[in-house]
Amino acid sequence: MATAKEFVDRVARIDGVSGCLLMRNDGVLIGQTINDSEVYSTLLMISGRQAHDVMEKVGFSYCRHLGFSRRDNCHFYVFPILDNYLLGVIQHSDCSAGDMLDTVYRLIGRVSTNRADVISMGDEYAQNEKIP
Amino acid sequence: MNQILDELKSIPGVVGACVYSPRAGLKISNLPGIFKPERLAAVGKHLSKLYSAGRMSFNDLIDVSLHYDESVVVARELQKNLLVFVVCDPSFNHNLLTMSFNLLQEEVQNAGIEADDTEDGPLAVGSAAAPAKSDDLLGLFSEMKVLLGKVLGPMAGLIFDETLEVWEKQGRTEIGRIEALIELQNREIGDPDKIKHYRKLIDPELKNYQKG
Repeated sequence: MATAKEFVDRVARIDGVSGCLLMRNDGVLIGQTINDSEVYSTLLMISGRQAHDVMEKVGFSYCRHLGFSRRDNCHFYVFPILDNYLLGVIQHSDCSAGDMLDTVYRLIGRVSTNRADVISMGDEYAQNEKIP
Repeated sequence: MNQILDELKSIPGVVGACVYSPRAGLKISNLPGIFKPERLAAVGKHLSKLYSAGRMSFNDLIDVSLHYDESVVVARELQKNLLVFVVCDPSFNHNLLTMSFNLLQEEVQNAGIEADDTEDGPLAVGSAAAPAKSDDLLGLFSEMKVLLGKVLGPMAGLIFDETLEVWEKQGRTEIGRIEALIELQNREIGDPDKIKHYRKLIDPELKNYQKG
Protein backbone atom coordinates (compact mmCIF):
# COMPACT_ATOMS: atom_id res chain seq x y z
CA MET A 1 0.00 0.00 0.00
CA ALA A 2 1.15 3.54 -0.68
CA THR A 3 -0.19 7.01 -0.06
CA ALA A 4 -0.68 9.53 -2.86
CA LYS A 5 2.45 11.27 -1.70
CA GLU A 6 4.38 8.02 -1.93
CA PHE A 7 2.98 7.43 -5.40
CA VAL A 8 4.31 10.84 -6.47
CA ASP A 9 7.65 10.08 -4.84
CA ARG A 10 7.82 6.75 -6.66
CA VAL A 11 7.12 8.39 -10.01
CA ALA A 12 9.81 10.96 -9.24
CA ARG A 13 12.33 8.16 -8.57
CA ILE A 14 11.86 6.59 -12.03
CA ASP A 15 15.00 6.83 -14.18
CA GLY A 16 14.71 9.85 -16.43
CA VAL A 17 12.12 11.70 -14.34
CA SER A 18 13.35 15.00 -12.95
CA GLY A 19 10.10 15.92 -11.23
CA CYS A 20 6.38 15.33 -11.21
CA LEU A 21 3.05 16.54 -9.86
CA LEU A 22 -0.32 14.91 -9.33
CA MET A 23 -3.52 16.88 -9.64
CA ARG A 24 -7.21 16.13 -9.37
CA ASN A 25 -9.17 17.22 -12.45
CA ASP A 26 -10.91 19.96 -10.44
CA GLY A 27 -7.55 21.67 -9.99
CA VAL A 28 -6.59 20.46 -6.52
CA LEU A 29 -2.88 19.75 -6.37
CA ILE A 30 -2.39 16.46 -4.53
CA GLY A 31 1.36 16.04 -4.58
CA GLN A 32 4.48 17.42 -6.22
CA THR A 33 8.23 17.10 -6.28
CA ILE A 34 8.92 20.35 -8.12
CA ASN A 35 9.19 23.90 -6.87
CA ASP A 36 7.53 25.92 -9.64
CA SER A 37 4.37 23.83 -9.75
CA GLU A 38 2.13 26.79 -10.65
CA VAL A 39 3.24 26.90 -14.28
CA TYR A 40 2.95 23.16 -14.68
CA SER A 41 -0.36 22.78 -12.86
CA THR A 42 -2.08 25.33 -15.09
CA LEU A 43 -0.76 23.61 -18.19
CA LEU A 44 -1.82 20.27 -16.72
CA MET A 45 -5.41 21.45 -16.35
CA ILE A 46 -5.58 22.96 -19.84
CA SER A 47 -3.98 19.87 -21.38
CA GLY A 48 -6.41 17.48 -19.76
CA ARG A 49 -9.39 19.44 -20.99
CA GLN A 50 -8.13 19.99 -24.54
CA ALA A 51 -7.01 16.36 -24.95
CA HIS A 52 -10.46 15.23 -23.84
CA ASP A 53 -12.15 17.61 -26.29
CA VAL A 54 -10.01 16.40 -29.21
CA MET A 55 -10.80 12.82 -28.20
CA GLU A 56 -14.53 13.51 -28.32
CA LYS A 57 -14.36 15.43 -31.61
CA VAL A 58 -12.46 12.69 -33.45
CA GLY A 59 -13.90 9.72 -31.63
CA PHE A 60 -10.73 8.33 -30.10
CA SER A 61 -11.27 6.05 -27.14
CA TYR A 62 -8.62 6.85 -24.55
CA CYS A 63 -5.81 9.35 -24.09
CA ARG A 64 -2.63 7.66 -22.89
CA HIS A 65 -0.56 10.79 -22.54
CA LEU A 66 0.33 14.18 -24.00
CA GLY A 67 3.85 15.33 -24.70
CA PHE A 68 5.29 18.82 -24.87
CA SER A 69 8.63 18.54 -26.70
CA ARG A 70 11.20 21.20 -25.82
CA ARG A 71 14.49 22.24 -27.37
CA ASP A 72 16.33 21.66 -24.09
CA ASN A 73 15.00 18.05 -24.11
CA CYS A 74 13.33 18.52 -20.71
CA HIS A 75 10.08 17.35 -22.22
CA PHE A 76 6.86 17.56 -20.20
CA TYR A 77 4.32 14.75 -20.22
CA VAL A 78 0.74 14.66 -19.00
CA PHE A 79 -0.95 11.38 -18.08
CA PRO A 80 -4.71 11.33 -17.47
CA ILE A 81 -5.51 8.74 -14.80
CA LEU A 82 -9.02 7.27 -14.65
CA ASP A 83 -10.66 10.51 -15.87
CA ASN A 84 -10.20 12.00 -12.41
CA TYR A 85 -6.50 12.76 -12.08
CA LEU A 86 -3.68 14.20 -14.09
CA LEU A 87 -0.06 13.29 -13.57
CA GLY A 88 2.56 15.69 -14.94
CA VAL A 89 6.08 14.39 -15.48
CA ILE A 90 9.18 16.38 -16.38
CA GLN A 91 11.86 14.42 -18.19
CA HIS A 92 15.60 14.69 -17.62
CA SER A 93 17.32 16.05 -20.71
CA ASP A 94 19.53 12.98 -21.15
CA CYS A 95 17.32 9.94 -20.77
CA SER A 96 15.57 7.32 -22.85
CA ALA A 97 12.04 8.66 -23.08
CA GLY A 98 10.62 5.30 -24.20
CA ASP A 99 11.88 3.44 -21.14
CA MET A 100 10.76 6.21 -18.82
CA LEU A 101 7.25 6.34 -20.33
CA ASP A 102 6.92 2.55 -20.11
CA THR A 103 7.82 2.62 -16.43
CA VAL A 104 5.35 5.43 -15.73
CA TYR A 105 2.63 3.49 -17.61
CA ARG A 106 3.33 0.41 -15.51
CA LEU A 107 3.10 2.36 -12.28
CA ILE A 108 -0.12 4.06 -13.38
CA GLY A 109 -1.46 0.66 -14.38
CA ARG A 110 -0.84 -0.61 -10.87
CA VAL A 111 -2.65 2.25 -9.14
CA SER A 112 -5.46 2.15 -11.72
CA THR A 113 -6.41 -1.43 -10.95
CA ASN A 114 -8.48 -0.46 -7.94
CA ARG A 115 -10.65 2.47 -8.89
CA ALA A 116 -12.11 3.11 -5.45
CA ASP A 117 -8.70 3.30 -3.84
CA VAL A 118 -7.37 5.64 -6.48
CA ILE A 119 -10.35 7.94 -6.19
CA SER A 120 -9.64 8.25 -2.50
CA MET A 121 -6.40 10.06 -3.39
CA GLY A 122 -8.41 13.18 -4.09
CA ASP A 123 -10.22 13.79 -0.85
CA GLU A 124 -9.23 16.19 1.89
CA TYR A 125 -6.95 13.61 3.44
CA ALA A 126 -5.28 13.03 0.09
CA GLN A 127 -1.74 13.03 1.36
CA ASN A 128 -2.43 10.16 3.76
CA GLU A 129 -4.91 8.06 1.80
CA LYS A 130 -3.88 4.57 0.84
CA ILE A 131 -3.51 3.44 -2.75
CA PRO A 132 -2.33 0.01 -3.96
CA MET B 1 1.17 23.57 -49.66
CA ASN B 2 -0.45 20.43 -51.07
CA GLN B 3 2.94 19.04 -51.95
CA ILE B 4 4.20 19.73 -48.43
CA LEU B 5 1.32 17.83 -46.90
CA ASP B 6 1.82 14.94 -49.31
CA GLU B 7 5.45 14.73 -48.22
CA LEU B 8 4.31 14.45 -44.59
CA LYS B 9 1.82 11.75 -45.54
CA SER B 10 4.56 9.73 -47.18
CA ILE B 11 6.30 9.27 -43.79
CA PRO B 12 5.68 5.72 -42.51
CA GLY B 13 2.90 5.69 -39.95
CA VAL B 14 1.47 9.09 -40.89
CA VAL B 15 -2.19 8.85 -41.91
CA GLY B 16 -2.48 12.43 -43.11
CA ALA B 17 -1.90 16.06 -42.26
CA CYS B 18 -3.75 19.36 -41.94
CA VAL B 19 -2.84 23.01 -41.89
CA TYR B 20 -4.89 25.19 -39.58
CA SER B 21 -4.87 28.90 -38.95
CA PRO B 22 -6.65 30.29 -35.87
CA ARG B 23 -7.79 33.24 -37.97
CA ALA B 24 -8.65 31.53 -41.27
CA GLY B 25 -9.71 28.12 -39.97
CA LEU B 26 -8.85 24.85 -41.68
CA LYS B 27 -6.78 25.66 -44.75
CA ILE B 28 -5.94 22.30 -46.24
CA SER B 29 -6.04 18.61 -45.37
CA ASN B 30 -5.07 15.32 -46.96
CA LEU B 31 -6.55 13.13 -44.24
CA PRO B 32 -8.98 10.39 -45.33
CA GLY B 33 -12.61 11.45 -45.83
CA ILE B 34 -13.64 9.92 -42.53
CA PHE B 35 -12.09 13.01 -40.90
CA LYS B 36 -14.75 15.62 -41.70
CA PRO B 37 -13.52 19.20 -42.29
CA GLU B 38 -15.81 20.56 -39.56
CA ARG B 39 -14.30 18.21 -37.02
CA LEU B 40 -10.76 18.88 -38.18
CA ALA B 41 -11.40 22.61 -37.80
CA ALA B 42 -12.58 21.99 -34.25
CA VAL B 43 -9.54 19.81 -33.55
CA GLY B 44 -7.29 22.51 -35.00
CA LYS B 45 -8.85 25.03 -32.65
CA HIS B 46 -8.22 22.82 -29.62
CA LEU B 47 -4.65 22.10 -30.71
CA SER B 48 -4.04 25.77 -31.30
CA LYS B 49 -5.16 26.54 -27.74
CA LEU B 50 -3.08 23.69 -26.39
CA TYR B 51 -0.03 24.90 -28.31
CA SER B 52 -0.54 28.47 -27.07
CA ALA B 53 -0.77 27.22 -23.49
CA GLY B 54 2.38 25.16 -23.98
CA ARG B 55 4.27 28.09 -25.43
CA MET B 56 3.24 30.32 -22.55
CA SER B 57 4.83 27.78 -20.20
CA PHE B 58 7.84 26.83 -22.34
CA ASN B 59 9.36 29.38 -24.65
CA ASP B 60 11.41 26.62 -26.30
CA LEU B 61 8.39 24.46 -27.17
CA ILE B 62 8.91 22.41 -30.34
CA ASP B 63 5.75 20.40 -30.79
CA VAL B 64 2.81 18.93 -28.92
CA SER B 65 1.75 15.31 -29.23
CA LEU B 66 -1.44 13.64 -28.04
CA HIS B 67 -1.14 9.89 -27.70
CA TYR B 68 -4.47 8.09 -27.88
CA ASP B 69 -5.05 4.35 -27.93
CA GLU B 70 -5.65 4.21 -31.68
CA SER B 71 -3.67 7.16 -32.99
CA VAL B 72 -1.25 9.93 -32.18
CA VAL B 73 -1.85 13.57 -33.12
CA VAL B 74 1.24 15.77 -33.40
CA ALA B 75 1.02 19.53 -33.84
CA ARG B 76 3.73 22.05 -34.74
CA GLU B 77 3.48 25.78 -35.27
CA LEU B 78 5.12 26.45 -38.64
CA GLN B 79 4.99 30.16 -38.06
CA LYS B 80 2.80 32.55 -36.14
CA ASN B 81 -0.86 31.67 -36.67
CA LEU B 82 -0.11 28.66 -38.85
CA LEU B 83 -0.33 25.22 -37.28
CA VAL B 84 0.27 21.91 -38.98
CA PHE B 85 -0.97 18.72 -37.37
CA VAL B 86 -0.70 15.11 -38.41
CA VAL B 87 -2.58 11.99 -37.40
CA CYS B 88 -0.33 8.93 -37.08
CA ASP B 89 -0.43 5.29 -36.12
CA PRO B 90 0.93 4.72 -32.60
CA SER B 91 4.00 3.05 -34.15
CA PHE B 92 5.10 6.20 -36.02
CA ASN B 93 8.69 7.44 -35.81
CA HIS B 94 8.59 10.68 -33.80
CA ASN B 95 12.20 11.59 -34.61
CA LEU B 96 11.58 11.28 -38.34
CA LEU B 97 8.43 13.37 -38.07
CA THR B 98 10.26 16.02 -36.03
CA MET B 99 12.93 16.23 -38.71
CA SER B 100 10.29 16.54 -41.43
CA PHE B 101 8.53 19.25 -39.44
CA ASN B 102 11.85 21.12 -39.15
CA LEU B 103 12.37 20.97 -42.90
CA LEU B 104 8.78 21.97 -43.53
CA GLN B 105 9.06 24.89 -41.13
CA GLU B 106 12.18 26.11 -42.92
CA GLU B 107 10.52 25.69 -46.30
CA VAL B 108 7.41 27.61 -45.25
CA GLN B 109 9.46 30.43 -43.78
CA ASN B 110 11.69 30.65 -46.85
CA ALA B 111 8.71 30.59 -49.19
CA GLY B 112 7.08 33.37 -47.18
CA ILE B 113 3.79 31.52 -46.91
CA GLU B 114 1.48 33.58 -44.74
CA ALA B 115 -1.10 32.21 -42.35
CA ASP B 116 -3.90 33.97 -44.18
CA ASP B 117 -2.71 33.21 -47.72
CA THR B 118 -5.74 32.19 -49.73
CA GLU B 119 -3.90 30.07 -52.29
CA ASP B 120 -5.10 26.85 -50.71
CA GLY B 121 -8.12 27.89 -48.76
CA PRO B 122 -9.44 28.35 -46.24
CA LEU B 123 -11.75 25.39 -46.64
CA ALA B 124 -15.41 26.19 -46.19
CA VAL B 125 -16.01 24.99 -42.67
CA GLY B 126 -18.81 27.08 -41.26
CA SER B 127 -17.77 29.68 -38.77
CA ALA B 128 -14.09 28.80 -38.80
CA ALA B 129 -13.27 31.67 -41.14
CA ALA B 130 -12.77 35.02 -39.44
CA PRO B 131 -12.98 38.49 -40.95
CA ALA B 132 -9.68 39.88 -42.20
CA LYS B 133 -7.86 42.31 -39.92
CA SER B 134 -5.15 44.78 -40.73
CA ASP B 135 -1.57 43.77 -39.96
CA ASP B 136 -1.28 46.70 -37.52
CA LEU B 137 -4.29 45.53 -35.54
CA LEU B 138 -2.91 41.99 -35.48
CA GLY B 139 0.34 43.41 -34.13
CA LEU B 140 -1.54 45.26 -31.40
CA PHE B 141 -3.44 42.10 -30.46
CA SER B 142 -0.20 40.19 -30.31
CA GLU B 143 1.30 42.78 -27.91
CA MET B 144 -1.84 42.80 -25.78
CA LYS B 145 -1.77 39.01 -25.56
CA VAL B 146 1.79 39.07 -24.24
CA LEU B 147 0.89 41.79 -21.73
CA LEU B 148 -2.17 39.86 -20.57
CA GLY B 149 0.23 37.01 -19.89
CA LYS B 150 2.05 39.23 -17.39
CA VAL B 151 -1.22 39.64 -15.49
CA LEU B 152 -2.81 36.22 -15.85
CA GLY B 153 0.09 33.85 -16.47
CA PRO B 154 -0.22 30.78 -18.69
CA MET B 155 -4.02 31.02 -19.06
CA ALA B 156 -3.71 34.39 -20.80
CA GLY B 157 -3.30 33.01 -24.32
CA LEU B 158 -6.50 31.02 -24.08
CA ILE B 159 -8.45 33.83 -22.48
CA PHE B 160 -7.22 36.35 -25.03
CA ASP B 161 -8.22 34.12 -27.96
CA GLU B 162 -11.63 33.41 -26.48
CA THR B 163 -12.41 37.06 -25.72
CA LEU B 164 -11.17 38.05 -29.18
CA GLU B 165 -13.51 35.50 -30.72
CA VAL B 166 -16.49 36.86 -28.74
CA TRP B 167 -15.52 40.44 -29.61
CA GLU B 168 -15.28 39.65 -33.32
CA LYS B 169 -18.76 38.15 -33.25
CA GLN B 170 -20.16 41.28 -31.57
CA GLY B 171 -19.23 43.70 -34.32
CA ARG B 172 -16.62 45.04 -36.70
CA THR B 173 -12.95 44.30 -36.12
CA GLU B 174 -11.72 47.86 -35.76
CA ILE B 175 -9.76 49.93 -33.30
CA GLY B 176 -12.85 51.99 -32.44
CA ARG B 177 -14.27 48.97 -30.59
CA ILE B 178 -11.08 48.09 -28.71
CA GLU B 179 -12.54 49.18 -25.34
CA ALA B 180 -15.22 46.51 -25.71
CA LEU B 181 -12.49 43.90 -26.12
CA ILE B 182 -10.63 45.22 -23.07
CA GLU B 183 -13.86 45.11 -21.07
CA LEU B 184 -14.33 41.44 -21.99
CA GLN B 185 -10.78 40.75 -20.85
CA ASN B 186 -11.31 42.72 -17.63
CA ARG B 187 -14.27 40.50 -16.80
CA GLU B 188 -12.03 37.46 -17.18
CA ILE B 189 -9.27 39.04 -15.06
CA GLY B 190 -11.78 39.76 -12.29
CA ASP B 191 -9.37 41.29 -9.78
CA PRO B 192 -9.56 45.16 -9.75
CA ASP B 193 -5.83 45.53 -9.01
CA LYS B 194 -4.91 43.25 -11.87
CA ILE B 195 -7.32 45.08 -14.17
CA LYS B 196 -5.57 48.36 -13.30
CA HIS B 197 -2.19 46.75 -13.89
CA TYR B 198 -3.30 45.40 -17.28
CA ARG B 199 -4.59 48.85 -18.25
CA LYS B 200 -1.29 50.39 -17.28
CA LEU B 201 0.57 47.87 -19.42
CA ILE B 202 -1.56 48.22 -22.54
CA ASP B 203 -2.06 52.00 -22.50
CA PRO B 204 1.33 52.75 -24.13
CA GLU B 205 0.60 50.15 -26.84
CA LEU B 206 -2.82 51.68 -27.54
CA LYS B 207 -1.30 55.16 -27.73
CA ASN B 208 1.42 53.93 -30.07
CA TYR B 209 -1.17 52.33 -32.29
CA GLN B 210 -3.29 55.46 -32.44
CA LYS B 211 -0.24 57.58 -33.27
CA GLY B 212 0.35 55.19 -36.15
